[in-house]
Amino acid sequence: MKKTKISTNLRENEAYIRKRCENCADILIRPMRLGDGPKVDCLMVYIEVAVSNMMLDDSALGKMVNHFWEVSPEHIQEFVKNNSLGIADVKKLPDMEAAFAALLAGNAIFFMDGYDQAMKISSKGYPNMGVSEAETEKVIRGSREGFSDAVKTNSALVRKRIRDTRLKVEEMTVGTRSQTMVQILYIDDLVHEELLEELKNRMEEYEIDGILDSGMLEQLTEEPWYSPFPQYQTTERPDRAAQELLNGKIVVICDNSPYALILPSSFSGFMESSEDWYHHFEMASFLRALRYLALLAATLLPGLYLAVIRFHTQILPANLILSFAEAREGVPFSSVVELVFLELAFELIREAGVRIPGSLGSTIGIVGGLIVGQAAVTANLVSPIVVMIVALTALGSMVIPNEEFASAFRLLKYMFLFLGGYLGIYGIVLGIYLTVAHLAGLLSFGMPYLMPFVKREDAGGAGEGILRPPFRKRKKRPVYSRQEEKLRLKRRDEG
Amino acid sequence: MKFAENNRISHRQLYRQMILAFLAPFLLCLPGEGQVMGKSGIIGVFLAAAVLSVYVLLLLRMVPWYTDLVKSLGAAAGRAAGVFFLSYVILTGGYLLNLMAELIPSVLVTGISGSVIALLAAAVCSFGTGRGMQRRGRMAEVSGGILLWGVLLMLALCLGQSRMSYLREMAETSRAGGTAVLNNCYKVLCGFAGTGLLPFGLKDVEKRGKAGKTLIFGVATLCGILAAALLLLPAVLGWERLKAEPYPVLPLMAGADLPGNVLARFDVLWMGFLLYSLLFALGSLFHYGRQITMRARLGSGRWWLPAAVFAASAVRAGGQGIRDYYGFYLAYIFVPGLLLIQLCMAFLGTKRRRKRTAAASLAILAFLLCLSGCAAIEPEKRMYPLALGINVSEQGFTVDYGMPDLPQATGQEKPEENGSVSVLSIEGKDFEEIEEIYDRSQEKYLDISHVQVILLGNSLRESGRWRELFSYLKQEPFMGENVYLFVTEDPGSVLAWDSGGTSAGEYLTGLLENRLPGDQKEGVTLRQAYHQWYQDGTLMELPVIVQEEKGIQVYLNSRDGA
Repeated sequence: MKKTKISTNLRENEAYIRKRCENCADILIRPMRLGDGPKVDCLMVYIEVAVSNMMLDDSALGKMVNHFWEVSPEHIQEFVKNNSLGIADVKKLPDMEAAFAALLAGNAIFFMDGYDQAMKISSKGYPNMGVSEAETEKVIRGSREGFSDAVKTNSALVRKRIRDTRLKVEEMTVGTRSQTMVQILYIDDLVHEELLEELKNRMEEYEIDGILDSGMLEQLTEEPWYSPFPQYQTTERPDRAAQELLNGKIVVICDNSPYALILPSSFSGFMESSEDWYHHFEMASFLRALRYLALLAATLLPGLYLAVIRFHTQILPANLILSFAEAREGVPFSSVVELVFLELAFELIREAGVRIPGSLGSTIGIVGGLIVGQAAVTANLVSPIVVMIVALTALGSMVIPNEEFASAFRLLKYMFLFLGGYLGIYGIVLGIYLTVAHLAGLLSFGMPYLMPFVKREDAGGAGEGILRPPFRKRKKRPVYSRQEEKLRLKRRDEG
Repeated sequence: MKFAENNRISHRQLYRQMILAFLAPFLLCLPGEGQVMGKSGIIGVFLAAAVLSVYVLLLLRMVPWYTDLVKSLGAAAGRAAGVFFLSYVILTGGYLLNLMAELIPSVLVTGISGSVIALLAAAVCSFGTGRGMQRRGRMAEVSGGILLWGVLLMLALCLGQSRMSYLREMAETSRAGGTAVLNNCYKVLCGFAGTGLLPFGLKDVEKRGKAGKTLIFGVATLCGILAAALLLLPAVLGWERLKAEPYPVLPLMAGADLPGNVLARFDVLWMGFLLYSLLFALGSLFHYGRQITMRARLGSGRWWLPAAVFAASAVRAGGQGIRDYYGFYLAYIFVPGLLLIQLCMAFLGTKRRRKRTAAASLAILAFLLCLSGCAAIEPEKRMYPLALGINVSEQGFTVDYGMPDLPQATGQEKPEENGSVSVLSIEGKDFEEIEEIYDRSQEKYLDISHVQVILLGNSLRESGRWRELFSYLKQEPFMGENVYLFVTEDPGSVLAWDSGGTSAGEYLTGLLENRLPGDQKEGVTLRQAYHQWYQDGTLMELPVIVQEEKGIQVYLNSRDGA
């Protein structure tokens, strides 16, 4: 790309900037004459809202400009060249492209007559929501902090937890028009270099006009693209991101997105909650086992119910099947249609609950769950047992800590529903075979998705399985970290 | 990537693949009618295990020769060997598909065509078979342990159904002569013929030189389970019945239930485990088939191999299907031929298209699913007799179906509803005709899977026509074998007797079971009655129901004074 030089003539620079910023009302171009006695022409270019009132005394910009009123032009040049004011994050920009990149990133750019470089003066950048509570990964015990929309804030939240220079933060921009800043975080001596290389290659594989959220980046770089199972783990919790970095994984943070991507991901990682490591191991193990049961219920329960009541009634005690038969008496639809109908009704309620703001959302849940369900049973549109099945299925899917992972199983549920409804237990076994075959073939950046259930080495003490080991026994890092840095815990007197 | 994927499978994955691929075919096909059983069978299994332990070590040494058949044996001979191995893959796949097509519609999902079952199985198992050994290794590692422990748990639960007296029958009756032992040993070796394909996969095993222990452990586990099954089957079903059953592992769980009344029976789960193993075996055959086609330079086999396997399962010539001649092929052609080839080896020392095919395959599967979907019957459209009363009549037989009163049985009755017990009585010259009359006259499907008691009329017992009843019941896979049998003068009137709202089925079962442990009365189950029937053709002494003015009384045996 051809670079446009910054001229020593400020008028030429101003003309160039004004031409490029034509009809950009939000970009302010402020000429000023600074200096004590003979004045020197200067130009400040910044985005109106992104840069705070530059004349405020307590801002870096304010300090600088106020100071320049009082010094001679020669001294101004001296100050600029040597950054004698000691303003943090002042950077010289050699050409117009660099200057515009810095401008559009939310910084103020300072030009001065007779000087062939611009100066970037960092400001607080674009407006954002700031650090708020993690909404989708709530915990009882653990930090309340969640990632925000600003990439810099997010990496700072991670740095706050790992105050070690071995935590590396590499920046790159993605999107030819959006110029979205993406940060790759990893711990230098833990991460596998091949993994880092592979990630960078994939990010550079496509040229796209804009990346507006980490979800877009995720879809662009995952392989295979058609799998419903997420290949990146997402989190909005800095403590979870830090925990995974210590496991040897890589965290990708994308500007404008409160979700960090973690890679490589694995089946067990999606079933883990960050507070698993804050609770005692007995309770954490119990909760993890419960989540796996919930996963089975969320996926298989409707299909199994249909298989049993339509094909294999002998499996149930007589009283139970008689109850089912009595409950379905008078329902006009087949049990498959009945179940699909109620499942879709539940999906509608869920979707409505997400879209409708605040308190109304929970009202929708109550209205949908209680009134619609009750009315449907009273009107004999569905049987009460089906309402229970759908409710249990929904509860099961809500117990899964990762929403995207749960969504994949929500989709699978429909496959099992039809297979169980039309082929009985044979269909369920076919479905399980297909699912296992698909999951067995999935790799997340070269790592089998079914880790640690398929392990190639003794992962003793890594604590990634269904049961969580006692904290003192968790001596090793999982397979994602380098072999020479496997040890994570030892007694000081062990040497 | 080196840190995770080095395109090799671990020894554990190899072991679990062996378990998954062989367990169900062994349990289903080896014991039973004219196959491996009895003392000679058990000794034969152990002998085969010893032979196989040596054989698998030899297979390990043959891996380099299998890598490129054309290079090892020459162009013509290499291709001929490839065709030979492929014929095994196709015929074995066809055999397994045919087995599924026969068993699933008859014992698991009635009303669905066997061809549809086979086609679906072939389509699903061919999914992703070209994605390398690692995928199959991971599949096996994830599901192999669950399947193995599931099968072992179920066999353990079945132990409660076994009787030492039944086992003694086997010990006393079966012989363990040298010829019989060798014969059984060869049958087990034929069952393990699939291990002849192992060298195609062993090249992808890490630390291959040390894989011998794993292979031997796999063989030992499989033979151990098979030997345990050969002991358990006669202990549960009885020796004479075992000899007459074509697939004795299927009724093995028909009388077992879980404590706590969670599930009335778990034979469906048992079938589910066996089915998964069968599907994995079929998938492995497709996988190895593709490996063979590539190594013998016969194309990729991606599409035609599943098609050929399906065709092999469906084709019938001269009234005979693959199951009729597969045993002969295995024992007299493949196993000797395989050994011959191995001896010779030792001596000689585009994305768019993919998308379209995937879409077409999905459409076919969806179409098949819709076609097959007419077999299911909703629970409220079934009739659930909890008790059957059977007696002889002028026309032949009378069958009384004792129905539960649904609202009362489920606790959902309203005050104004009458809680009377209903009995449906049908007369016909034989049970098939009674079924036909039922079909012509009743709107609901007859679901006899919840029958708890069967009442035999005195006349039926004395006339000896109970044998016809037993023959009929044997063909009903959904009839549990833990059903209690009674004998009474007039089954119809016992069923019609109002026991206060509960059906005769629940009342009589409760009468036997609702007692403190130790005081429980020992009724006679259908399984026990079958056992004596197979043993000496007689009907064992059944508890007698005497109907009196105020109610009924049950006498467990003649000493009780009935």
